[in-house]
Amino acid sequence: MDIGTGLVAIGAGLAVGLAALGSGLAQARIGAAAIGAIAEKPELTGRAILLVAIPETLVILGFAVAAMTIVLL
Amino acid sequence: MLTPMTRVRMIGPKSALVQAIEELHTLGIVHLDVAGAASDSALDSVPEDHRRDRHRDELSLLLVELDALLSLVPATDRPAAVAGDHVPGSIDASAMRAAIAPTVHEVEERVRELEELEAEAVVLPRYVQPLRQLLPLVPWLADLSDRELALLRLDTAALVLNLDDDTVVSLLRAELEVELGERFELVATPVDESTVGCVLVFPHDAGDSVHGLLGREHVRHVALPTRYSQLSLRGAVEAMEERERLLPAAIQGAEEAVRELVVPHAAEWQLYRTAAAAELEQLEAIGLLRMTDRAYVMEGWWPRSQGGTLREELDRRLDGQVAIEESKPARVDSRVPVLLHNVRLARPFEALVEFLDVPRSASLDPSLVMCLFLPLMFGIMVGDVGYGVILLFLGLYARRRFARSAPVLRDISFVLVFGAAWSLVFGVLFGEFFGDVGKRIVGYDWAVWMYRPGAEALEPLLLFAIAIGIVHVVLGIVLGMWQAARFREPRTLLDRLGTLLVLIGLFTVAGVAADQLPEGAMTPAVALAVVGLVLVLSLHGAMGLVMGPLELLGTLGNILSYLRLAAVGLASAYLAIVANELALAGPIWLGIIVGTFFHTLNLALAGFSPMVQALRLHYVECFSKFFEGGGTPFHPFGERQTMGAETPRAVEQST
Repeated sequence: MDIGTGLVAIGAGLAVGLAALGSGLAQARIGAAAIGAIAEKPELTGRAILLVAIPETLVILGFAVAAMTIVLL
Repeated sequence: MLTPMTRVRMIGPKSALVQAIEELHTLGIVHLDVAGAASDSALDSVPEDHRRDRHRDELSLLLVELDALLSLVPATDRPAAVAGDHVPGSIDASAMRAAIAPTVHEVEERVRELEELEAEAVVLPRYVQPLRQLLPLVPWLADLSDRELALLRLDTAALVLNLDDDTVVSLLRAELEVELGERFELVATPVDESTVGCVLVFPHDAGDSVHGLLGREHVRHVALPTRYSQLSLRGAVEAMEERERLLPAAIQGAEEAVRELVVPHAAEWQLYRTAAAAELEQLEAIGLLRMTDRAYVMEGWWPRSQGGTLREELDRRLDGQVAIEESKPARVDSRVPVLLHNVRLARPFEALVEFLDVPRSASLDPSLVMCLFLPLMFGIMVGDVGYGVILLFLGLYARRRFARSAPVLRDISFVLVFGAAWSLVFGVLFGEFFGDVGKRIVGYDWAVWMYRPGAEALEPLLLFAIAIGIVHVVLGIVLGMWQAARFREPRTLLDRLGTLLVLIGLFTVAGVAADQLPEGAMTPAVALAVVGLVLVLSLHGAMGLVMGPLELLGTLGNILSYLRLAAVGLASAYLAIVANELALAGPIWLGIIVGTFFHTLNLALAGFSPMVQALRLHYVECFSKFFEGGGTPFHPFGERQTMGAETPRAVEQST
């Protein structure tokens, strides 16, 4: 494996990893608030899952960048 | 789809009101609504009746008591629902309360005992732990009882200090020296990371000043329960440790005693509850009625398809003493209750739609869209024959297990069965059986389409995920256009149309750029995109230049979000391969343990994560294009309900 391939791999890893970190931070806050809301009103469970899942798009975009890095470079 | 509803107005003589209410309750098919328009001055509300109000209060109280009693009955011993209808006034709530009273008192006594034991089990370790650690520090004191200490004119206090810093104990010692001089003994030991336990011995006559000091300094004084207070320190610790050992058996015995007391009465209580609930519901329905001098007026909703049958049935039951008037509601009428009713295969998905919200009346019911796409997406993500087979059996077992007790779980397990079936299909397409176990066994790549973890599979997999996203989002936009046309909302319709044109234009341009479409398609594609963009921008007025592109970017983001189908699937496939590699790294017995552990972990993730991701893709990416929530669920008057279990819907009973 040459150094270029290694750098591509590191870049792809960073793209997913940093996006996951951001997503996790957002989900931690949303999740805590969502659990509080569900405790008060259990019928909000569906919407709570929806809200918790929204920041995951960041990781998916990170994954898209990582995949493009691997496929195109 | 949403069941079409008819507005029903029933008019009958006042003298037949009680019979009419009971018959409607027995039928269990009319969703009652407030009768008459507010402006209709010919109709009056039912006059206040203190006797009726008192009876309603008694029934409410009885229901609360019965619910509390039935909640003590273990789920396995809980009786099934009992259908019951009673004419208002026919139940003597006081007599029922008197009948259950002796058992209630006995149950209260037993429950109190049980709660005391449970509280003791929680509290006792908090006393034992610090005292046990203090014993070795004061051996000369440990064997002296309270009486012996009193003879010596000495008092003791066990203290717990929150250890903010190491100087707390020395500060307390300094304070005590100021108060008592040399006339005290203080020993301390750490109990855990944040607290220190202390024993303080001081002269009996200095008791007031010591307790005053401790109060001022907010020092927690561990007062022993009275049953241990007369014992020596060592004796108290031994007695408490012995009690700790005996408590689990005592709690189990108390629980058994409660169970033995309530189970024989459960069927009787359930019968009372059903009768009381039915009567309370009938009494509350009176508040929705309107009256004239001689007639009552009731209004509500029933499914249009059953109107004829219900009309005849009601007429027969009330001996023709009711005039029934049916009217079709306006196209958009927020009062219309919503009842989802789909083809058999799509019915389990109704619970998942309602999980988000009840669709607004006259809007689209997305259950069928979910039925088509959710299991497919689940299957794409799991995509493994081995996991698919296990999930299929788990789903079938859960469906059987929760068939009667938990309808929502039964529906979700049915969705799991669907998803597992698609997992088998994609497992064959991807050539995966517990990751690469199948490939290792047969010795070649048996994938019908492509081996997913392979390097060359990444690009087609991403394109496949995007393609699914385009179909799903475009379907959502088209449904949104159809709904906007139905609700006569031209702006929404044009907005959706503009978004659709931009998407078609952009993807055609991408197809031409990737040499997948002829070059001649480029000009019409660009034209479509520009027309769509202008349409979207112009609809947002002055803010269009900002809002329009943002909305289009959001839609593109929605489509890119479907890349998670590939991402979650690849993660699952790679975890399975890692499990196999680790399993082969050591001796065979260790390999079996490690492999089983990782595959079980992957299976647990496969059962949960793809379901949540597929739900999210529906709720956020697709439903946002057309779904309108906020509907009023259809609750027929007389719908059977029982404590702790849901009962079949009235409509399902009658269809």
